[in-house]
Amino acid sequence: MTRNTRILMQCIYWAFVLYLLVPLFLMMLMGFKDSKFIGFPIRSWTLDWYLGVFNDTAVVQALGYSAVIAVVSTAIALFMGTWIAVALTGRSFWGRAIILGLTLLPAVIPGVISAIAFRIAARVVGMEPGMWAIIWSHAIHNVPFVVLVVMARLSTLPKSYGEAARDLGADPIITFFRVTLPYLTPAMIGGGVFCMLLSFDDFVRSFFLGGYEPTLPVLIFAKLRSGMSPEINAISTIVLVLTALLGLWAERSMRGMSKRAAND
Amino acid sequence: MTDVKDPIVRIEGVTKSFGSFIALHEMNLNIASGEFVTFLGPSGCGKSTTLRILGGFETPDTGRVILNGKDVTALPPNKRNVNMVFQDYALFPNMTVRRNIAFGLELKGLGQAAIKARIDELASFLELTAYLDRRPDQLSGGQRQRVALARALAPDPALLLLDEPLGALDAKLRAQVQVELKAIQRRTNKTFFFVTHDQEEALTMSDRIVVMNKGRIEQDGTPEELYFQPASRFVAEFIGETNLLSGRALAVDQGSAGFDWQGHQLRATSTPGRAALAGGAATASLRPERIQVQRDRPATDNAVQGQVVNRLFKGHRMLLDVAVGETTVQAYTDTDRGRELADGPVWLGWNANSLTLLAD
Repeated sequence: MTRNTRILMQCIYWAFVLYLLVPLFLMMLMGFKDSKFIGFPIRSWTLDWYLGVFNDTAVVQALGYSAVIAVVSTAIALFMGTWIAVALTGRSFWGRAIILGLTLLPAVIPGVISAIAFRIAARVVGMEPGMWAIIWSHAIHNVPFVVLVVMARLSTLPKSYGEAARDLGADPIITFFRVTLPYLTPAMIGGGVFCMLLSFDDFVRSFFLGGYEPTLPVLIFAKLRSGMSPEINAISTIVLVLTALLGLWAERSMRGMSKRAAND
Repeated sequence: MTDVKDPIVRIEGVTKSFGSFIALHEMNLNIASGEFVTFLGPSGCGKSTTLRILGGFETPDTGRVILNGKDVTALPPNKRNVNMVFQDYALFPNMTVRRNIAFGLELKGLGQAAIKARIDELASFLELTAYLDRRPDQLSGGQRQRVALARALAPDPALLLLDEPLGALDAKLRAQVQVELKAIQRRTNKTFFFVTHDQEEALTMSDRIVVMNKGRIEQDGTPEELYFQPASRFVAEFIGETNLLSGRALAVDQGSAGFDWQGHQLRATSTPGRAALAGGAATASLRPERIQVQRDRPATDNAVQGQVVNRLFKGHRMLLDVAVGETTVQAYTDTDRGRELADGPVWLGWNANSLTLLAD
């Protein structure tokens, strides 16, 4: 590569980074503006919008509601997804491809379609709109991601680990809990964080299946209808920082654990 | 088959196939308590299948495995008093060395104090005391190998299986570990069932070697028996270097035989049961280091004349290619003599016990 093309490549790279980050940066910036209207010029600065978020009970409640939904739906998705991944790995049986296909289907169905389907199904089975309906739809939507990461991890599990455990006196259940499951932990943490972020971020399913209590994205949407205000910027920035921290933590701890396992 | 009194393991008529591939033809074998038995052979010869059947990871199609007088053929690995050192060691990456060694002890239901005592005993024995709180990824290859050994020895198995455990070590360390492993086996007086494709490893450590080929036992004997009295062409070629002479068997007696090779009437030895070879085409094995090379006719049972055509310097000795008639015979000599004999005619001499008549 010549020097000029290298410089050109770097320019393109930084232009792309700018393109990605400028909207986010503007969003954060506007949260500090001491005025009800978003836009330049900024004449004076304030922390009121950020402080206001924590005093807005509706926002705090929605945040808690979203967090509970994210945690519970992720727990269900992890349980189901790991179970399916383990069941599908290591042996071939009739219908394996069909089960795998059906498991992965929710990940590719458009959100609106699946939300409507869930809504209809909820009514058929007599499930009230609300938290459990949202959790149910989020869990099913997230199972495929767990299955994929756990299966990828399982495929690197040396067969001899399980055999060594059996050899040393462990029955299949002890072998699973003491050898297989610890080996899957990094993938489960990664998959779990991803599920939480997906659930936290979800608007369509939460909107269709929700009751009177709004999740955070639904609340933001409702607030938008009464006009854009810097408070929304402040909420969004806080959520951005929290999710970025969560993602970073998951990435780091996962890398450490996978490295340890891979080195052995 | 070697006669074993009071065997700890009896393999009786065991066969195993995978699809159309026959991994083991009917196998019968007894292993004595405290023996270091090595299964030696190329990949696909059935040695690993035998090991996995003993460990309980494969079920034989027919036959029985008797351990300590009890039929264990249908028992899963966790119900057998047999432990294994895996080729990749299979140390649990999420556990420290201590937890790895404790694994089998906990499952045996030992108390905390007993577990600790056993770990300390093994750790000091295998020089692992300083590493007990490390994780497997913080250990060197040799240390991991010792942890795998400690973990497998911890539950005090009646039989220890070792699946090519030295394959991952470099050559120098491997030589050292061979000596250590043999010493450990002597001190613990455990029965070791070792699987390898490395003939040198097998010769160094074993009390007894079982050479496998294509799912059958080719020969079963002490390392010296195998080396000096190979029963078949396969064994002669697989273990060490050898010259295979093609000729005709003459009279075959109990133990001794005549062998016609390019018109030379040679005296050879034969293992029992080779009488049928008499009068027909046959092959004989002659180890290169058992040949004397000199200018004058040597006073050995057999002597032939030849011409040195090539020399290979190997440090403390030299490998000579000597043309005899239409074939070339390889012979080792010490380096000084090799230099003197560089050109000109030489005599090759060897005794009857160095020329072994083989079954093809």
